[in-house]
Amino acid sequence: MSGRIVAVVLLAGAVLVQVTILNRIPLPWGVAPDLVLVVLVGVALRLGAVCGAVGGFCSGLALDVLPPTETELGRYAVLLCLAGYLAGSLAGTDRDSPVLPFALTALAALGVGLGFTGIGLVLGESRASLAGIVQFLPVTVGYTLLISPFALFVVSRCLRRFAAQRDPLWQEGEFSLRGDRAW
Amino acid sequence: MSPLGPDGLGTVGPRAAPRSRLVLAVLLISGVVLLALDSRGAAAPVAEPARAVGSAVFTPAAGAVSFAASPLEWGVDSIRAGAQTQERVTELEQENARLEQELVDAGRDAGRMDQLTELLELTDRGGYEIVPAQAITQVSARGYVETVTLDVGERDGVGPDMTVVSPQGLVGRVTSVTAEHAEVLLLTDTTSAVGARLEGEREIGVVHGESDAGSGFTNPGLRFELLDASAPVQEGDRVLSLGSHDGAPFVPGVPIGTVAAVEDTPGELSRLAEVSPAVNLSRLDVVGVVVAEPEEDPRDAVVAEDLPADVQREVTS
Repeated sequence: MSGRIVAVVLLAGAVLVQVTILNRIPLPWGVAPDLVLVVLVGVALRLGAVCGAVGGFCSGLALDVLPPTETELGRYAVLLCLAGYLAGSLAGTDRDSPVLPFALTALAALGVGLGFTGIGLVLGESRASLAGIVQFLPVTVGYTLLISPFALFVVSRCLRRFAAQRDPLWQEGEFSLRGDRAW
Repeated sequence: MSPLGPDGLGTVGPRAAPRSRLVLAVLLISGVVLLALDSRGAAAPVAEPARAVGSAVFTPAAGAVSFAASPLEWGVDSIRAGAQTQERVTELEQENARLEQELVDAGRDAGRMDQLTELLELTDRGGYEIVPAQAITQVSARGYVETVTLDVGERDGVGPDMTVVSPQGLVGRVTSVTAEHAEVLLLTDTTSAVGARLEGEREIGVVHGESDAGSGFTNPGLRFELLDASAPVQEGDRVLSLGSHDGAPFVPGVPIGTVAAVEDTPGELSRLAEVSPAVNLSRLDVVGVVVAEPEEDPRDAVVAEDLPADVQREVTS
């Protein structure tokens, strides 16, 4: 099975879990972990920048479309697209570090949170405020980091197991390097 | 290093970058355009069907998850509630204590109202005008003077030498008043003497208090000394107050007690009878201070139970 197909399945599952479960669990402080982002980072680290960008855009668009329709179409799409691209392009630099996925996840969560509020500020949304960032962003990043070991483990196992070692796609050059990460 | 391909490392480089950047640029631009349009409400033709599809996907999925996860959600709820449970318990305990207190108060109020009603009945029959009062202490200052303190005083029109009655009968008389309190000397105090008469008779006498100084209230009793040594008196006869000059310190017609035993005193100038008080003096609650005596002696009207008070009053007068 192609790594891309596995990535699509993983991201779709993450989106569904995110909107149907995580966003509805009444956790303290009223925010939820960003599972989609973690899975996206994991996928991008394995499959590269293009997959990260496309996967981020599509899953973000799905998040925008699915209820609760609190965001404009494209808001998450832009943010997750950037996050996936950056994670995918950073992947090759230090691939043996076991901390890298988690550091990337934390950074991505921080960046997406800031970007989300930033877009809100640009669009003149009344709910977006700096006080909200200070209050909720650390909690969101913390939750996201908390679930990241499990989510990243699952992503890595799935990609390794279902994506064939000799997947021709991975030999196009662009993806070949990221096929054999330690995790 | 990489087992993936024969060409391994060398394939990453300038060749890959332009393509991925192009993809990124296209995606970002379309995303931003979408964002800009939708934020102005201009993307409705795209956004509305898309959201309808999203909703159609979401609703059954969310329903299924809700169904499957309802025990889980309940668990999360309880865990969250756990932190606040102790606080909540304390809050409820306090509220419970308050409500119990209110209940007790309400019961006490109801009891007091009953007593007041009875008191009013008594005073209505006798034609007395009273000030209702609460016995707030029952002090026997050094254990042998039987007095109670009432929560009414000069301010309420209470003065010395006024009769104090309870719903059941005579309690005593006011000995001293301050602005807010009045001291009442009980019937049963050894220094108390009340002019009295037998119900329905013209036999008169004096009721003395007979409490045993040493033993406190253990056997509060009254001794009725009839002035006529040959007066016909027997057990069960009721004793009423005779009434003093100008109604002070005792108004006429108030029940004092019932004859419990008659002593034979041959050769004496008077007859003696043991009288048990009509009022349980050790458990006083609501009493009335008679501030104005009746215009005419009610005679036996107060103790008449079979006839309505007004009819009885007509008969006796």
